[in-house]
Amino acid sequence: MTEKLMFQNAPHVRQSESVRTMMTDVVIALLPIYLMGFFYYGARALMLGLCGVLSCVGFSAIGSLALREKFSFDLTPVITGLIIPLLMPADIRYFVIIAACAVAIFVVKVPFGGTGNNLFNPAAVGFASAAICWPGMVFSYPAPIQSLEIFGESATKIAQSPAYSLALGAVPEYEVLDMVLGNVPGPMGATNIFVAAACGIFLIVRKAVNWITPASFIIPYALLSAFFPRIEASSFDSLCYELFSGTVIFGAFFMLSEPVTSPKRDFGKFLAGITSAAAVFLFRYFGGFEMGFASALIVMNVFSPVFDRICEDILHVYRHKDSLLRKKEQNPEKEEKKEKAPALKIFKKAEKKAEIPEDEEIINVSLINTPGEELVPEEKEEPFEPEEKAEESEKEEAVQ
Amino acid sequence: MSFFVKGILLEQKKEPMLTRSTLVMRQEFQYFDCDFMETPIDELSKEQIIEIARLAEIVDESDGKMLWEKLEKAELGEKGTLIVDAIDDEPYISSQMAIGIHHQEKFALGIELCEKVLAPAKTYIAMYKHIFDTNFSIPRKIGGYKVEKIGGRYPAENRAYRHIPKGRNSIVIGSCAMLHLARAAEDSRKMSSCFLTVAGDAVSNPRNVEVPVGTSVEEILRLCGLTEEPEVIVVGGSMTGRAIFEPENELVGPTTRGIVALSRSYNHSTYNCIGCGRCDHACPKALSVSTMRKLAEFGKFDELRNYDAAQCIGCGACSYVCPARIDIAATIIKAKKQMELAKKEGTL
Repeated sequence: MTEKLMFQNAPHVRQSESVRTMMTDVVIALLPIYLMGFFYYGARALMLGLCGVLSCVGFSAIGSLALREKFSFDLTPVITGLIIPLLMPADIRYFVIIAACAVAIFVVKVPFGGTGNNLFNPAAVGFASAAICWPGMVFSYPAPIQSLEIFGESATKIAQSPAYSLALGAVPEYEVLDMVLGNVPGPMGATNIFVAAACGIFLIVRKAVNWITPASFIIPYALLSAFFPRIEASSFDSLCYELFSGTVIFGAFFMLSEPVTSPKRDFGKFLAGITSAAAVFLFRYFGGFEMGFASALIVMNVFSPVFDRICEDILHVYRHKDSLLRKKEQNPEKEEKKEKAPALKIFKKAEKKAEIPEDEEIINVSLINTPGEELVPEEKEEPFEPEEKAEESEKEEAVQ
Repeated sequence: MSFFVKGILLEQKKEPMLTRSTLVMRQEFQYFDCDFMETPIDELSKEQIIEIARLAEIVDESDGKMLWEKLEKAELGEKGTLIVDAIDDEPYISSQMAIGIHHQEKFALGIELCEKVLAPAKTYIAMYKHIFDTNFSIPRKIGGYKVEKIGGRYPAENRAYRHIPKGRNSIVIGSCAMLHLARAAEDSRKMSSCFLTVAGDAVSNPRNVEVPVGTSVEEILRLCGLTEEPEVIVVGGSMTGRAIFEPENELVGPTTRGIVALSRSYNHSTYNCIGCGRCDHACPKALSVSTMRKLAEFGKFDELRNYDAAQCIGCGACSYVCPARIDIAATIIKAKKQMELAKKEGTL
């Protein structure tokens, strides 16, 4: 009986969900968008996706070879490789995709330690760098519902996306229903709002994405575009045009909600959603390019540790509320005086140990199987200053 | 505060152990002598009941203390509450609940004796109610005592004792101790056995068993039978117990609640942390677990102290939910112990 016995750490039952299932869900949710690309632009859409996936996986293998690590295949480069072509027009040249994937893997992911350690969203950085290098190719779109040649370049590049006309300050010449259905020129995967939103809801139901992130991004963004329209139209029209053009809906579900670069807690995600809505709006309002989402996302990724820190500071007060309240009740005057002499401190500690709170006589608290262990109320050692810490961390962020 | 603290809902897997009757391993009982052997149970005085608990050497299985010491020291006052602990919120384990269900008369007698000593204003039996994978329903009253159904997510045991109003004292006594007290008062029998749940997918006959204190784990597993060779044998709960290597030398004590034999060890981590933040939400103490794990791995103890690492209760909820299968709880508990050592030496 003892031959096979193995060691494992404490919770001996684990959730069946793993990173692999979460990533598979995202890949499954991206496939219908590729099918819509196939419907609008022909087989070239699928070839672009394949090109992106192969180059991302290949580059991450090369990266781990260069760092002399063992290459373990996971699905994160596949997702990056699937998202990048969806942000670009369907007749983009293949080398642009490969270059964007190279930036995403070699600049953003590998130097920081691979999966789980990247500071920025790799797909956003890849797309943004491609847009800066080849703006002519990235921002001119083919008209939808035509079968493009799989290899080579098509000559018909006449159509302008609604996002471009919005950036110029003109009312787009397309119907809102066409924009919702994706029957307008634009990025290959992001024009079809219905399919993108449906796939996003699939992700929310499967709990691969927290609903707070897209909700706290889309609703403030819609409100902002309704109250501050760029075009001379009614606020509802402005709302529809702003929300359904560009990569706003697609990005809210697939890029903003990426777990690595977003804050950890729900409240932090809420704050990040609102602030990135404001940032995207400002980038599109004042920015030179028609693309505002990717650049705003890169900027907002920097602040997610700040939002985490804010949550931690709030929770620190929540965890210590009992001892803080008791302290105030017992000696409201002493709080103002600061004792600096170390001898006094020791004396104070000894005093604290001696007094045991009478009202909380909890006999059985410890959950670990260590008999006789009691949870003694912890001593508070350092005075808590939440505001200063938050400021400090923000300053550090600014310095970096 | 549910926006910050979500907790986890566990699959309880308590069937078929809970509804099956308790399997008793053959043993020789030991008896004690005292002056008031002939006194009927109704007429026992407070001191006599404490004396019975002392002579019978009853250990409270919920915290490992002697029952007579707890009864003697407890000062409940006028508004005190007596809580009988039969919560069992860990998967597989149902040893405390099963006593309340299968030994109702003696269980109620034990509570009556404790009530006589402590004279509480309120008495209730605490049981965990979120058991979805069974048709069994928890009774409203056991032997005339109210059953308080503790809801909420794991760990409920930690939360159950906190909703008592302030200014009221309470005492928690395990349900096995109640049964032993009743036996001692009726038959003057010493506490020589303990109640365990034997479960897991490698066990052929999963049951609640009553075995003598000091039986080896191998013997108990042989009693219940094994379908295949287990890869992991756990003593204690499935969430907080420890894996053992020598089942023939591992003896069960009064505080052991279960033995779980699993045919497969879970798949160990092959991924990095992707920062999904599920551990943060699972923590019942609202700690920032993901940051704490990183600090603990790099040994930054002075920073870890600012994150209230001392408040960790080691429930293991963070490790349970982690999709990357990282041993978060083990890392933090280890760092916490090192911190305490450093504090004693004065280096921190």
